[in-house]
Amino acid sequence: MFADILNYILDLGAAIFLPIIMIILGLIMKMKPRKAIIAGLTLGVAFTGMNLVLGFMFDTISPVAQEFVKNTGIQFNTIDVGWSPMSAISWAWPYALLMFPVQIVLNIIILALNKTNVLNVDLWNVWGKIFTATMVAAITNSVILGFAAAIVQIILELKIGELNQKQIYEVTKIPGVTCTHYMTLQCVIMNPVNKLLDFIPGLKDSKMNADKLKDKIGIFGENSVMGFIIGGIIALVAGYTVKDSLNIAIKVATALVLFPMVAKLFMQALAPIADAAGEYMKKKFKDREIFIGLDWPFMAGQSEIWVVAILLVPLELLFAILMSKMGLSNILPLAGIVNIIVVVPALIVTGGNLIRMLILSIIFTPFYLFVSSSFAPFVTDLARKVGTINIPDGQMISYFGVEAPFFRWIISNGLAGDILGIIGMIIFAVCYYFFVKEMKKRNANL
Amino acid sequence: MKKIVVACGSGVATSQTIASKIDSMLQDEGIKASVEAVDIKSLDNIIDQVDVYVKIVSGPTNYDIPTINGIPFLTGMGRDAEFEKLKEYLK
Repeated sequence: MFADILNYILDLGAAIFLPIIMIILGLIMKMKPRKAIIAGLTLGVAFTGMNLVLGFMFDTISPVAQEFVKNTGIQFNTIDVGWSPMSAISWAWPYALLMFPVQIVLNIIILALNKTNVLNVDLWNVWGKIFTATMVAAITNSVILGFAAAIVQIILELKIGELNQKQIYEVTKIPGVTCTHYMTLQCVIMNPVNKLLDFIPGLKDSKMNADKLKDKIGIFGENSVMGFIIGGIIALVAGYTVKDSLNIAIKVATALVLFPMVAKLFMQALAPIADAAGEYMKKKFKDREIFIGLDWPFMAGQSEIWVVAILLVPLELLFAILMSKMGLSNILPLAGIVNIIVVVPALIVTGGNLIRMLILSIIFTPFYLFVSSSFAPFVTDLARKVGTINIPDGQMISYFGVEAPFFRWIISNGLAGDILGIIGMIIFAVCYYFFVKEMKKRNANL
Repeated sequence: MKKIVVACGSGVATSQTIASKIDSMLQDEGIKASVEAVDIKSLDNIIDQVDVYVKIVSGPTNYDIPTINGIPFLTGMGRDAEFEKLKEYLK
Protein backbone atom coordinates (compact mmCIF):
# COMPACT_ATOMS: atom_id res chain seq x y z
CA MET A 1 0.00 0.00 0.00
CA PHE A 2 2.67 2.46 1.08
CA ALA A 3 4.88 1.38 -1.81
CA ASP A 4 1.96 1.96 -4.19
CA ILE A 5 1.50 5.52 -2.94
CA LEU A 6 5.24 6.17 -3.17
CA ASN A 7 5.39 4.81 -6.71
CA TYR A 8 2.39 6.86 -7.70
CA ILE A 9 4.03 10.02 -6.40
CA LEU A 10 7.39 9.26 -8.07
CA ASP A 11 5.52 8.50 -11.27
CA LEU A 12 4.11 12.02 -11.31
CA GLY A 13 7.54 13.20 -12.44
CA ALA A 14 10.21 15.35 -10.86
CA ALA A 15 8.38 18.58 -11.70
CA ILE A 16 5.53 17.48 -9.43
CA PHE A 17 7.01 15.30 -6.70
CA LEU A 18 9.96 17.51 -5.84
CA PRO A 19 7.80 20.59 -5.27
CA ILE A 20 5.56 18.49 -3.00
CA ILE A 21 8.56 17.37 -0.95
CA MET A 22 9.88 20.92 -0.97
CA ILE A 23 6.65 22.37 0.43
CA ILE A 24 6.47 19.69 3.14
CA LEU A 25 10.14 20.25 4.06
CA GLY A 26 9.57 23.99 4.18
CA LEU A 27 6.58 23.62 6.50
CA ILE A 28 8.55 21.26 8.76
CA MET A 29 11.30 23.88 8.92
CA LYS A 30 8.63 26.40 10.01
CA MET A 31 8.64 28.45 6.84
CA LYS A 32 5.55 30.58 6.34
CA PRO A 33 3.07 28.59 4.20
CA ARG A 34 3.06 31.36 1.60
CA LYS A 35 6.84 31.18 1.22
CA ALA A 36 6.91 27.39 1.26
CA ILE A 37 4.30 27.14 -1.49
CA ILE A 38 6.06 29.70 -3.67
CA ALA A 39 9.41 27.94 -3.18
CA GLY A 40 7.85 24.60 -4.08
CA LEU A 41 6.10 25.87 -7.17
CA THR A 42 9.24 27.73 -8.27
CA LEU A 43 11.07 24.41 -8.22
CA GLY A 44 8.42 22.83 -10.45
CA VAL A 45 8.60 25.82 -12.78
CA ALA A 46 12.39 25.49 -12.86
CA PHE A 47 12.18 21.84 -13.97
CA THR A 48 9.58 22.54 -16.59
CA GLY A 49 11.44 25.61 -17.83
CA MET A 50 14.68 23.67 -18.06
CA ASN A 51 12.95 20.97 -20.11
CA LEU A 52 11.53 23.63 -22.39
CA VAL A 53 14.88 25.26 -23.11
CA LEU A 54 16.69 21.93 -23.33
CA GLY A 55 14.11 20.66 -25.83
CA PHE A 56 14.42 23.89 -27.84
CA MET A 57 18.21 23.64 -27.89
CA PHE A 58 18.17 19.96 -28.79
CA ASP A 59 15.62 20.41 -31.57
CA THR A 60 17.76 23.20 -32.99
CA ILE A 61 21.17 21.59 -32.84
CA SER A 62 20.38 17.90 -33.24
CA PRO A 63 19.67 17.95 -37.02
CA VAL A 64 22.63 20.29 -37.52
CA ALA A 65 24.92 17.89 -35.69
CA GLN A 66 23.68 15.01 -37.84
CA GLU A 67 24.37 16.97 -41.03
CA PHE A 68 27.77 17.97 -39.61
CA VAL A 69 28.64 14.30 -39.13
CA LYS A 70 27.47 13.43 -42.66
CA ASN A 71 29.34 16.33 -44.21
CA THR A 72 32.64 15.98 -42.38
CA GLY A 73 32.80 12.35 -41.26
CA ILE A 74 33.62 13.59 -37.74
CA GLN A 75 31.61 11.64 -35.16
CA PHE A 76 29.91 14.12 -32.86
CA ASN A 77 27.02 12.05 -31.54
CA THR A 78 26.94 13.73 -28.15
CA ILE A 79 25.87 17.31 -27.63
CA ASP A 80 27.26 19.31 -24.73
CA VAL A 81 24.28 20.93 -23.01
CA GLY A 82 26.28 22.59 -20.23
CA TRP A 83 26.01 22.28 -16.47
CA SER A 84 22.59 23.83 -15.89
CA PRO A 85 20.44 21.04 -17.41
CA MET A 86 22.74 18.58 -15.67
CA SER A 87 21.91 20.10 -12.29
CA ALA A 88 18.22 19.72 -13.11
CA ILE A 89 18.69 16.09 -14.09
CA SER A 90 20.64 15.46 -10.88
CA TRP A 91 18.01 17.05 -8.64
CA ALA A 92 15.43 14.78 -10.23
CA TRP A 93 17.24 11.61 -9.15
CA PRO A 94 14.87 9.84 -6.70
CA TYR A 95 17.50 9.82 -3.89
CA ALA A 96 18.75 13.36 -4.59
CA LEU A 97 17.44 15.17 -1.53
CA LEU A 98 19.10 12.62 0.79
CA MET A 99 22.40 14.21 -0.19
CA PHE A 100 21.59 17.32 1.87
CA PRO A 101 21.64 15.54 5.25
CA VAL A 102 24.61 13.41 4.14
CA GLN A 103 26.74 16.47 3.38
CA ILE A 104 25.61 18.48 6.42
CA VAL A 105 25.99 15.68 8.96
CA LEU A 106 29.32 14.52 7.53
CA ASN A 107 30.75 18.04 7.61
CA ILE A 108 29.60 18.56 11.19
CA ILE A 109 31.13 15.26 12.29
CA ILE A 110 34.49 15.97 10.62
CA LEU A 111 34.56 19.45 12.14
CA ALA A 112 33.66 18.10 15.57
CA LEU A 113 36.49 15.57 15.31
CA ASN A 114 38.85 18.42 14.45
CA LYS A 115 39.82 16.74 11.20
CA THR A 116 39.13 19.88 9.23
CA ASN A 117 38.56 23.58 9.82
CA VAL A 118 36.36 24.09 6.78
CA LEU A 119 32.58 24.45 6.85
CA ASN A 120 31.07 24.04 3.40
CA VAL A 121 27.98 26.27 3.29
CA ASP A 122 27.60 25.97 -0.47
CA LEU A 123 24.48 23.83 -0.42
CA TRP A 124 23.59 24.63 -4.00
CA ASN A 125 26.48 22.50 -5.20
CA VAL A 126 25.11 19.48 -3.41
CA TRP A 127 23.98 18.65 -6.93
CA GLY A 128 27.60 17.92 -7.88
CA LYS A 129 27.70 15.15 -5.30
CA ILE A 130 24.36 13.89 -6.57
CA PHE A 131 25.75 13.84 -10.10
CA THR A 132 28.76 11.76 -9.03
CA ALA A 133 26.41 9.41 -7.20
CA THR A 134 24.16 9.02 -10.25
CA MET A 135 27.09 8.14 -12.49
CA VAL A 136 28.58 5.69 -9.99
CA ALA A 137 25.15 4.16 -9.38
CA ALA A 138 24.57 3.78 -13.13
CA ILE A 139 27.97 2.19 -13.80
CA THR A 140 28.13 -0.06 -10.71
CA ASN A 141 24.38 -0.74 -10.46
CA SER A 142 24.53 0.17 -6.78
CA VAL A 143 22.96 3.22 -5.15
CA ILE A 144 24.99 2.48 -1.98
CA LEU A 145 28.26 2.74 -3.90
CA GLY A 146 26.92 5.96 -5.43
CA PHE A 147 26.57 7.46 -1.97
CA ALA A 148 29.96 6.04 -0.92
CA ALA A 149 31.60 7.87 -3.82
CA ALA A 150 29.74 11.06 -2.92
CA ILE A 151 31.03 10.78 0.65
CA VAL A 152 34.61 10.48 -0.60
CA GLN A 153 34.01 13.55 -2.74
CA ILE A 154 32.59 15.54 0.19
CA ILE A 155 35.65 14.74 2.32
CA LEU A 156 38.08 15.57 -0.49
CA GLU A 157 36.36 18.91 -1.09
CA LEU A 158 36.83 19.84 2.55
CA LYS A 159 40.46 18.68 2.76
CA ILE A 160 41.46 20.31 -0.54
CA GLY A 161 39.60 23.49 0.46
CA GLU A 162 41.62 23.55 3.65
CA LEU A 163 44.94 23.04 1.83
CA ASN A 164 44.12 25.67 -0.80
CA GLN A 165 42.87 28.34 1.59
CA LYS A 166 46.12 30.32 1.90
CA GLN A 167 46.84 30.17 -1.81
CA ILE A 168 43.33 31.38 -2.63
CA TYR A 169 43.73 34.21 -0.12
CA GLU A 170 46.98 35.23 -1.85
CA VAL A 171 45.14 35.51 -5.16
CA THR A 172 41.84 37.07 -4.02
CA LYS A 173 42.71 38.75 -0.68
CA ILE A 174 39.31 37.72 0.71
CA PRO A 175 39.81 36.51 4.30
CA GLY A 176 38.06 33.65 6.07
CA VAL A 177 36.91 31.77 3.00
CA THR A 178 38.04 29.00 0.69
CA CYS A 179 36.64 27.18 -2.30
CA THR A 180 35.01 23.79 -1.73
CA HIS A 181 33.76 23.31 -5.26
CA TYR A 182 34.53 19.85 -6.69
CA MET A 183 36.39 21.42 -9.60
CA THR A 184 39.26 21.83 -7.12
CA LEU A 185 39.69 18.04 -7.11
CA GLN A 186 41.53 18.60 -10.38
CA CYS A 187 44.23 20.50 -8.44
CA VAL A 188 45.44 17.13 -7.17
CA ILE A 189 46.40 15.84 -10.61
CA MET A 190 47.42 19.24 -11.99
CA ASN A 191 50.01 19.68 -9.25
CA PRO A 192 52.64 17.22 -10.59
CA VAL A 193 52.37 18.71 -14.09
CA ASN A 194 52.78 22.18 -12.65
CA LYS A 195 55.93 20.96 -10.87
CA LEU A 196 57.30 19.71 -14.20
CA LEU A 197 56.80 23.18 -15.66
CA ASP A 198 59.39 24.42 -13.16
CA PHE A 199 62.00 22.88 -15.44
CA ILE A 200 61.05 25.12 -18.35
CA PRO A 201 63.14 28.28 -18.10
CA GLY A 202 61.27 31.56 -18.11
CA LEU A 203 58.02 30.07 -16.82
CA LYS A 204 58.91 30.28 -13.18
CA ASP A 205 57.94 33.85 -12.49
CA SER A 206 56.56 35.13 -15.76
CA LYS A 207 54.14 37.94 -15.05
CA MET A 208 51.56 39.11 -17.52
CA ASN A 209 48.83 41.64 -17.17
CA ALA A 210 45.61 39.86 -17.95
CA ASP A 211 43.35 42.87 -17.28
CA LYS A 212 44.10 44.63 -20.56
CA LEU A 213 43.80 41.41 -22.52
CA LYS A 214 40.44 40.72 -20.91
CA ASP A 215 39.14 44.14 -22.00
CA LYS A 216 40.02 43.21 -25.59
CA ILE A 217 38.66 39.65 -25.79
CA GLY A 218 36.18 39.61 -22.92
CA ILE A 219 33.23 39.90 -25.32
CA PHE A 220 33.81 36.29 -26.40
CA GLY A 221 33.07 35.13 -22.87
CA GLU A 222 29.45 36.22 -23.25
CA ASN A 223 27.06 33.30 -23.69
CA SER A 224 25.22 35.09 -26.46
CA VAL A 225 28.35 35.87 -28.48
CA MET A 226 29.93 32.44 -28.10
CA GLY A 227 26.64 30.63 -28.79
CA PHE A 228 26.11 32.68 -31.94
CA ILE A 229 29.62 32.09 -33.27
CA ILE A 230 29.85 28.36 -32.52
CA GLY A 231 26.27 27.67 -33.61
CA GLY A 232 26.86 29.54 -36.85
CA ILE A 233 30.17 27.82 -37.60
CA ILE A 234 28.75 24.35 -37.00
CA ALA A 235 25.78 25.07 -39.25
CA LEU A 236 27.98 26.46 -42.04
CA VAL A 237 30.34 23.46 -41.87
CA ALA A 238 27.29 21.18 -41.87
CA GLY A 239 26.39 22.66 -45.24
CA TYR A 240 23.50 24.96 -44.34
CA THR A 241 22.88 28.17 -46.28
CA VAL A 242 23.98 31.48 -44.78
CA LYS A 243 20.38 32.39 -44.01
CA ASP A 244 19.68 29.10 -42.21
CA SER A 245 23.03 29.23 -40.43
CA LEU A 246 22.32 32.70 -39.07
CA ASN A 247 18.98 31.50 -37.76
CA ILE A 248 20.54 28.47 -36.12
CA ALA A 249 23.23 30.72 -34.65
CA ILE A 250 20.70 32.99 -32.98
CA LYS A 251 18.72 30.02 -31.66
CA VAL A 252 21.81 28.47 -30.08
CA ALA A 253 22.66 31.87 -28.60
CA THR A 254 19.11 32.05 -27.21
CA ALA A 255 19.36 28.64 -25.54
CA LEU A 256 22.74 29.49 -23.99
CA VAL A 257 21.41 32.77 -22.60
CA LEU A 258 18.21 31.17 -21.27
CA PHE A 259 19.90 28.22 -19.51
CA PRO A 260 21.40 30.24 -16.65
CA MET A 261 18.20 32.27 -16.35
CA VAL A 262 16.23 29.10 -15.73
CA ALA A 263 18.94 27.70 -13.46
CA LYS A 264 18.47 30.79 -11.31
CA LEU A 265 14.95 29.56 -10.54
CA PHE A 266 16.43 26.43 -8.94
CA MET A 267 18.52 28.66 -6.72
CA GLN A 268 15.52 30.79 -5.77
CA ALA A 269 13.52 27.70 -4.86
CA LEU A 270 16.31 26.05 -2.87
CA ALA A 271 17.60 29.24 -1.21
CA PRO A 272 15.33 29.20 1.88
CA ILE A 273 16.21 25.57 2.70
CA ALA A 274 19.91 26.00 1.93
CA ASP A 275 19.98 29.20 3.94
CA ALA A 276 18.32 27.64 6.99
CA ALA A 277 20.71 24.68 6.87
CA GLY A 278 23.73 26.97 6.45
CA GLU A 279 22.69 29.16 9.39
CA TYR A 280 22.22 26.06 11.53
CA MET A 281 25.71 24.82 10.70
CA LYS A 282 27.34 28.20 11.29
CA LYS A 283 25.64 28.54 14.66
CA LYS A 284 26.99 25.18 15.77
CA PHE A 285 30.59 26.28 15.32
CA LYS A 286 30.43 29.96 16.03
CA ASP A 287 33.05 29.82 18.81
CA ARG A 288 35.69 28.21 16.64
CA GLU A 289 37.88 29.69 13.96
CA ILE A 290 36.69 28.06 10.79
CA PHE A 291 36.98 28.83 7.12
CA ILE A 292 33.78 29.03 5.16
CA GLY A 293 33.77 26.90 2.02
CA LEU A 294 32.15 28.64 -0.95
CA ASP A 295 31.35 28.08 -4.60
CA TRP A 296 34.06 29.36 -6.99
CA PRO A 297 32.59 32.71 -8.19
CA PHE A 298 34.32 34.80 -5.52
CA MET A 299 37.41 34.22 -7.67
CA ALA A 300 35.63 35.34 -10.85
CA GLY A 301 37.15 38.81 -10.63
CA GLN A 302 40.54 37.44 -11.69
CA SER A 303 40.91 38.44 -15.33
CA GLU A 304 43.30 35.53 -15.96
CA ILE A 305 40.39 33.09 -15.66
CA TRP A 306 38.42 34.65 -18.50
CA VAL A 307 41.43 35.23 -20.73
CA VAL A 308 42.54 31.60 -20.50
CA ALA A 309 38.98 30.23 -20.89
CA ILE A 310 38.50 32.22 -24.09
CA LEU A 311 41.90 31.38 -25.56
CA LEU A 312 41.07 27.73 -24.97
CA VAL A 313 37.96 27.68 -27.17
CA PRO A 314 39.59 27.02 -30.57
CA LEU A 315 41.87 24.41 -29.02
CA GLU A 316 38.89 22.61 -27.45
CA LEU A 317 37.28 22.30 -30.87
CA LEU A 318 40.55 21.08 -32.37
CA PHE A 319 40.96 18.47 -29.62
CA ALA A 320 37.31 17.43 -30.01
CA ILE A 321 37.91 16.73 -33.71
CA LEU A 322 41.22 14.95 -33.17
CA MET A 323 39.94 12.80 -30.32
CA SER A 324 36.80 11.94 -32.25
CA LYS A 325 39.02 10.77 -35.14
CA MET A 326 40.93 8.59 -32.66
CA GLY A 327 37.68 7.22 -31.23
CA LEU A 328 38.40 8.68 -27.78
CA SER A 329 35.49 11.08 -27.59
CA ASN A 330 32.35 12.01 -29.48
CA ILE A 331 31.18 15.17 -27.76
CA LEU A 332 30.70 18.49 -29.48
CA PRO A 333 31.58 21.20 -26.93
CA LEU A 334 28.82 23.77 -27.08
CA ALA A 335 27.02 25.12 -24.00
CA GLY A 336 30.08 24.64 -21.79
CA ILE A 337 32.64 25.77 -24.32
CA VAL A 338 33.86 28.68 -22.17
CA ASN A 339 35.28 26.09 -19.80
CA ILE A 340 35.98 28.02 -16.60
CA ILE A 341 35.89 24.65 -14.86
CA VAL A 342 39.40 23.68 -16.03
CA VAL A 343 40.85 27.16 -15.49
CA VAL A 344 39.96 27.76 -11.83
CA PRO A 345 41.92 24.77 -10.46
CA ALA A 346 44.82 25.83 -12.69
CA LEU A 347 44.60 29.31 -11.17
CA ILE A 348 44.89 27.87 -7.66
CA VAL A 349 47.71 25.44 -8.46
CA THR A 350 49.81 28.04 -10.28
CA GLY A 351 48.96 30.92 -7.97
CA GLY A 352 47.59 32.93 -10.90
CA ASN A 353 50.45 32.58 -13.41
CA LEU A 354 48.73 33.17 -16.77
CA ILE A 355 51.09 31.19 -19.02
CA ARG A 356 51.14 28.20 -16.68
CA MET A 357 47.36 28.32 -16.36
CA LEU A 358 47.05 28.21 -20.12
CA ILE A 359 49.48 25.28 -20.47
CA LEU A 360 47.78 23.28 -17.69
CA SER A 361 44.33 23.98 -19.12
CA ILE A 362 45.42 22.79 -22.57
CA ILE A 363 47.02 19.62 -21.19
CA PHE A 364 43.93 18.75 -19.15
CA THR A 365 41.23 19.60 -21.71
CA PRO A 366 41.25 16.05 -23.22
CA PHE A 367 40.16 14.64 -19.84
CA TYR A 368 36.94 16.65 -20.03
CA LEU A 369 36.25 15.50 -23.58
CA PHE A 370 36.97 11.86 -22.81
CA VAL A 371 35.01 11.63 -19.56
CA SER A 372 31.99 13.63 -20.74
CA SER A 373 31.80 11.32 -23.79
CA SER A 374 32.16 8.22 -21.64
CA PHE A 375 29.35 9.37 -19.32
CA ALA A 376 27.06 10.35 -22.21
CA PRO A 377 24.99 7.11 -22.40
CA PHE A 378 24.22 7.30 -18.66
CA VAL A 379 23.45 11.01 -18.74
CA THR A 380 21.15 10.50 -21.73
CA ASP A 381 19.41 7.66 -19.97
CA LEU A 382 18.81 9.80 -16.87
CA ALA A 383 17.60 12.72 -18.98
CA ARG A 384 15.12 10.48 -20.77
CA LYS A 385 13.70 9.34 -17.44
CA VAL A 386 13.32 12.86 -16.12
CA GLY A 387 12.31 14.95 -19.00
CA THR A 388 9.93 15.25 -21.79
CA ILE A 389 12.65 15.91 -24.32
CA ASN A 390 12.85 13.51 -27.16
CA ILE A 391 16.40 12.34 -27.76
CA PRO A 392 16.49 10.10 -30.86
CA ASP A 393 18.44 6.82 -30.78
CA GLY A 394 22.08 7.25 -31.65
CA GLN A 395 22.15 10.78 -30.27
CA MET A 396 23.21 11.63 -26.75
CA ILE A 397 23.64 14.55 -24.39
CA SER A 398 26.32 15.13 -21.80
CA TYR A 399 28.26 18.04 -20.35
CA PHE A 400 31.77 18.90 -21.35
CA GLY A 401 32.58 20.85 -18.15
CA VAL A 402 32.28 17.74 -16.02
CA GLU A 403 34.18 19.49 -13.15
CA ALA A 404 36.19 16.61 -11.69
CA PRO A 405 36.57 14.34 -14.73
CA PHE A 406 39.52 12.32 -13.48
CA PHE A 407 38.07 11.65 -10.04
CA ARG A 408 34.60 10.88 -11.35
CA TRP A 409 35.82 8.49 -14.01
CA ILE A 410 38.18 6.52 -11.78
CA ILE A 411 35.76 6.23 -8.90
CA SER A 412 32.82 5.11 -11.02
CA ASN A 413 34.87 2.64 -13.07
CA GLY A 414 37.12 1.62 -10.17
CA LEU A 415 34.16 0.76 -7.94
CA ALA A 416 32.73 -1.24 -10.83
CA GLY A 417 35.90 -3.35 -10.75
CA ASP A 418 37.38 -2.02 -14.01
CA ILE A 419 41.15 -2.46 -13.94
CA LEU A 420 41.89 0.96 -15.50
CA GLY A 421 39.61 2.54 -12.93
CA ILE A 422 41.46 0.82 -10.09
CA ILE A 423 44.85 1.90 -11.46
CA GLY A 424 43.44 5.41 -11.75
CA MET A 425 42.36 5.32 -8.10
CA ILE A 426 45.91 4.41 -7.08
CA ILE A 427 47.35 7.21 -9.24
CA PHE A 428 44.90 9.66 -7.70
CA ALA A 429 45.84 8.55 -4.17
CA VAL A 430 49.57 8.99 -4.91
CA CYS A 431 48.95 12.41 -6.47
CA TYR A 432 46.91 13.37 -3.42
CA TYR A 433 49.80 12.45 -1.12
CA PHE A 434 52.16 14.73 -3.09
CA PHE A 435 49.54 17.46 -3.30
CA VAL A 436 49.21 17.54 0.49
CA LYS A 437 53.01 17.73 0.83
CA GLU A 438 53.35 20.47 -1.77
CA MET A 439 50.56 22.65 -0.39
CA LYS A 440 51.83 22.32 3.19
CA LYS A 441 55.28 23.40 2.03
CA ARG A 442 53.81 26.29 0.06
CA ASN A 443 51.54 27.37 2.92
CA ALA A 444 54.54 27.53 5.24
CA ASN A 445 56.20 29.97 2.83
CA LEU A 446 53.18 32.15 2.07
CA MET B 1 12.02 51.53 -5.93
CA LYS B 2 15.78 51.24 -5.35
CA LYS B 3 17.58 48.57 -7.29
CA ILE B 4 20.24 46.35 -5.76
CA VAL B 5 22.40 44.15 -7.94
CA VAL B 6 24.57 41.19 -6.92
CA ALA B 7 27.07 39.92 -9.49
CA CYS B 8 28.97 36.65 -9.73
CA GLY B 9 30.61 34.49 -12.37
CA SER B 10 27.46 32.94 -13.75
CA GLY B 11 24.68 35.09 -12.30
CA VAL B 12 23.15 31.90 -10.97
CA ALA B 13 24.47 30.28 -7.84
CA THR B 14 26.48 32.52 -5.54
CA SER B 15 24.89 35.80 -6.56
CA GLN B 16 21.39 34.32 -6.31
CA THR B 17 22.13 32.90 -2.85
CA ILE B 18 23.16 36.36 -1.65
CA ALA B 19 20.29 38.07 -3.47
CA SER B 20 17.75 35.74 -1.83
CA LYS B 21 19.37 36.33 1.55
CA ILE B 22 19.34 40.12 1.21
CA ASP B 23 15.81 40.04 -0.15
CA SER B 24 14.51 38.09 2.83
CA MET B 25 16.43 40.31 5.31
CA LEU B 26 14.92 43.42 3.70
CA GLN B 27 11.44 41.87 3.74
CA ASP B 28 11.81 41.10 7.44
CA GLU B 29 12.48 44.79 8.06
CA GLY B 30 9.69 45.89 5.76
CA ILE B 31 12.05 47.68 3.35
CA LYS B 32 11.00 47.66 -0.28
CA ALA B 33 13.75 47.26 -2.86
CA SER B 34 14.44 45.02 -5.80
CA VAL B 35 17.36 42.62 -5.55
CA GLU B 36 18.70 41.02 -8.69
CA ALA B 37 21.44 38.48 -9.38
CA VAL B 38 23.38 39.04 -12.59
CA ASP B 39 26.32 37.69 -14.51
CA ILE B 40 29.44 39.77 -13.82
CA LYS B 41 30.14 40.04 -17.54
CA SER B 42 26.88 41.87 -18.15
CA LEU B 43 27.38 44.27 -15.24
CA ASP B 44 28.90 47.03 -17.41
CA ASN B 45 25.71 47.19 -19.46
CA ILE B 46 23.31 47.67 -16.57
CA ILE B 47 25.35 49.44 -13.89
CA ASP B 48 23.79 52.82 -14.81
CA GLN B 49 20.39 51.67 -13.60
CA VAL B 50 21.70 50.26 -10.32
CA ASP B 51 21.48 52.02 -6.93
CA VAL B 52 23.60 49.66 -4.82
CA TYR B 53 26.14 47.15 -6.08
CA VAL B 54 26.85 44.09 -3.93
CA LYS B 55 30.37 43.01 -4.77
CA ILE B 56 31.50 39.40 -4.36
CA VAL B 57 34.50 39.15 -6.60
CA SER B 58 37.85 40.61 -5.87
CA GLY B 59 39.52 42.34 -8.74
CA PRO B 60 40.30 45.61 -10.36
CA THR B 61 36.87 46.79 -11.48
CA ASN B 62 35.18 49.44 -9.36
CA TYR B 63 32.07 51.42 -10.10
CA ASP B 64 31.07 54.90 -9.10
CA ILE B 65 28.04 53.85 -7.09
CA PRO B 66 27.45 52.75 -3.48
CA THR B 67 29.02 49.32 -3.08
CA ILE B 68 28.83 46.81 -0.27
CA ASN B 69 30.67 43.54 0.28
CA GLY B 70 28.63 40.41 -0.49
CA ILE B 71 30.87 37.79 1.13
CA PRO B 72 29.62 38.44 4.71
CA PHE B 73 26.14 37.40 3.58
CA LEU B 74 27.59 33.97 2.80
CA THR B 75 29.90 33.55 5.76
CA GLY B 76 27.83 35.34 8.39
CA MET B 77 30.90 37.16 9.69
CA GLY B 78 30.38 40.93 9.68
CA ARG B 79 26.99 40.55 8.05
CA ASP B 80 25.13 42.97 10.29
CA ALA B 81 27.60 45.77 9.58
CA GLU B 82 27.27 45.32 5.81
CA PHE B 83 23.48 45.15 6.10
CA GLU B 84 23.44 48.42 8.09
CA LYS B 85 25.50 50.03 5.32
CA LEU B 86 23.04 48.74 2.76
CA LYS B 87 20.11 50.20 4.67
CA GLU B 88 21.88 53.58 4.81
CA TYR B 89 22.35 53.54 1.04
CA LEU B 90 18.69 52.67 0.49
CA LYS B 91 17.38 55.65 2.48
